Amino acid sequence: MTRQRIVGWALALITVICVTVNEQEIGIARDEVVYFGASTKYADWWMGLVTFKHGISKKSITDTFGGDYGGGNNPEHPPFVKTLMGFSHHVFATKLGIFDELTAYRFPSALLAGLLVLLVYFMTLALWGFPEAVLAALCTLLLPRALFHEGLACFDAPIMTMWFATVYAYWRCMDGRAWPWQVGVVFGLTLATKHNAVLLPFALGLHYVIVAWRAGKWRGLVLHRWRVLVSLVVLGPLTLVVVWPWLWTAPIEHVRGWLAFHMHHVHYNFEYLGHNWNAPRFPWHVALVTTLFTVPVSTLAAAMTGIGLWIARWRRRESADPDRAPALLLGLSAAASLGPFFLGSTPIFGAEKHWMPALPTLCIAAGVGGVWAGRLVARYAVAVRPVAEKTAERVAIGVVGCFIALAAATEVVDAQPYALTWYNAAAGGAPGGADLGMNRQFWGVSARGVLPFIALQSPGPVYTHDASPAWGWYMRLGILPRIYPDAGHEGDGISRSKLAIVIHEKHFNRHDYLIWKSYGTVRPVYVLRSDGVPIVTVYKRPPQFQSQTSSTSR
Amino acid sequence: MCSTPQKAASVPRDEAWDKAEELVRAGYQPGDLIVFAPAWADPVGRLHLGDLIPVDMAARMDAARYGRIWEVSIRDAHAPETAGLTPVSSREVSGVAVRLFTRQPAVVVSDIRDALPTAKTQGPGYPSLELAEVGFEPHRCIQITPSPNSPVRVTFPGLTLGSQLVGYVGLADVFTRRDIRAPGTLAIEIGGTQVASVTAGVDDGWVKFSAPTTPGPADVTFIASARAPQRLICFAAEARR
Repeated sequence: MTRQRIVGWALALITVICVTVNEQEIGIARDEVVYFGASTKYADWWMGLVTFKHGISKKSITDTFGGDYGGGNNPEHPPFVKTLMGFSHHVFATKLGIFDELTAYRFPSALLAGLLVLLVYFMTLALWGFPEAVLAALCTLLLPRALFHEGLACFDAPIMTMWFATVYAYWRCMDGRAWPWQVGVVFGLTLATKHNAVLLPFALGLHYVIVAWRAGKWRGLVLHRWRVLVSLVVLGPLTLVVVWPWLWTAPIEHVRGWLAFHMHHVHYNFEYLGHNWNAPRFPWHVALVTTLFTVPVSTLAAAMTGIGLWIARWRRRESADPDRAPALLLGLSAAASLGPFFLGSTPIFGAEKHWMPALPTLCIAAGVGGVWAGRLVARYAVAVRPVAEKTAERVAIGVVGCFIALAAATEVVDAQPYALTWYNAAAGGAPGGADLGMNRQFWGVSARGVLPFIALQSPGPVYTHDASPAWGWYMRLGILPRIYPDAGHEGDGISRSKLAIVIHEKHFNRHDYLIWKSYGTVRPVYVLRSDGVPIVTVYKRPPQFQSQTSSTSR
Repeated sequence: MCSTPQKAASVPRDEAWDKAEELVRAGYQPGDLIVFAPAWADPVGRLHLGDLIPVDMAARMDAARYGRIWEVSIRDAHAPETAGLTPVSSREVSGVAVRLFTRQPAVVVSDIRDALPTAKTQGPGYPSLELAEVGFEPHRCIQITPSPNSPVRVTFPGLTLGSQLVGYVGLADVFTRRDIRAPGTLAIEIGGTQVASVTAGVDDGWVKFSAPTTPGPADVTFIASARAPQRLICFAAEARR
């Protein structure tokens, strides 16, 4: 068992390395810039507190954690991951200097990606076996979109990890232990990661009702593992409050403000099946179709097999760990994560990143289904050739598992670093996704890909639109020389600019037209593509259409 | 494992576009319309041939006035401008198809966008000629933002008409379309008689209208109205022979 556990740790380490290496090529997302600033302030505040540089005062808390929702110090998102980011920046960039600033901010997300792989491995190992665990962990590592998000200093990948960590802790704590404090604390940290966590009680609650009812009918509902419920209800919120000083000054008001911000969030523009969606009702099938197009086909096929197998085993009363019903738990976990997006009223901005907590369920199912398929092949091989059963099984599982993992790896390699433009082989890759009218990208991340081209041009202001928040960071990190400053906002920015970029999303077409008007040409000088699909266009102001700055200086 | 790299490499690279560009340039005549398909390949097409596409052509009302259309396409796609037409020449170079279509173009006898300086406006609103995003496409159009329930009348006195008045209307600006979901309406009067009325909703894009006309000069009035604020009603129209 120890050796098997080492394999899990090795896979987790490989994941952290893969994520960290991969994110070196990924541009800075608009939202990350906000989190960089907030995270440094949060970490400084905690360090000041424990070193007695300051105490706890309403003013210092408000100045650090408060302010307007959607502005200020980012009080619309809880602080757990941001605080880790701030500490990581302080330790790895400022003190030790082993990472650049960007990598340091992003490193906690990479660590959490490793933790996810580890937990997926451990749960699968405990319930279904070693080959299933290895394959499930590999499928978790080899998710192109998830790998992309795991490299960002954002909360979408971390909430996937923390969500699953809660599911895992809940499952472990349902073993009847006397003090199941772990699940409450982990749930609290999950609440402190992202607001998706408020959906988790729907999965855990329903699961608890089912297993408790099966264990002892009405009596079971009250007494079956009641300590787990107490842990969730008491320690969960308590942990959230402990790690979020913003709640110390006005807990109810600030929790209400936090959740209200997301309940009434502006609808972003998002292209889906050729239509730009920015108002309800949204199509009920967004989560379904997008998942089918953004998880590697081999993983999906194995997962469907695994889910079918779970159902078949349940019907035959052969489920793993029937008392704690882990397959049901995983299914409910995925359903709770995906559920709101079937309502038609939930904004679809950001697409798959918002229901990524469903992915561990798919990957575990893929591990179970893939290995089952391998065993099926082995049985066939034994039937037609005189092969030792054990050998045949090992070889067949190895071959099938390798095919699933390598197919997923191929998709991963193809997807990076523009994974938001990537769609799986079923969709036809990035070009197929573009043909289908699926969202091209968001957050302005791909602007990084045109920086080398811009650096070859004559100096001057650049109209950067969606990449504007990140532009200063590109220069600060030395990725772009400082002689290409951001020109500014919309019309004024364009008229000042010498170069202009358009990051292709359907609703950003308007930027092309604003530039045409000012530059007097529709001809770009460079088009960055991912698998042939345009993602960023660069325009250069023709000499006959002088910028406002040039006219003024003359 | 095999299909992923294959699909990733399925879009022609710049070398193929270079060859297609040479083909178009060899046969190009001033005034030819060049279109690209699928729509998402448009930036790459403009990278190669954008110098042959003036801004006004890119922001055209429609393609009817063009007698020669070059369609440069990949992945067996077709541009809407060539629907129903048969190519007079068709070549494919390394996955990029170059087709030339010819047809009898519509003869435009007057264009209200050119005549805007002579127009007279009544009501709370000022018409301006814009290069606007309407339905996520570029259009050079006359834009009015009427106050709620206060129509704005724009009259083109003595506009030369042909046998048909053809126009389009839509709501400009994706963000105001998102925030306010109400439609805008454009009615057209010729000599005081309403000949068309069209309502453009937030998801309708660039909506066509037409009316038969009697050749000769006439006062043509466009009446933009909306019940909601911030309806950026943008329209264009041509009198065709």
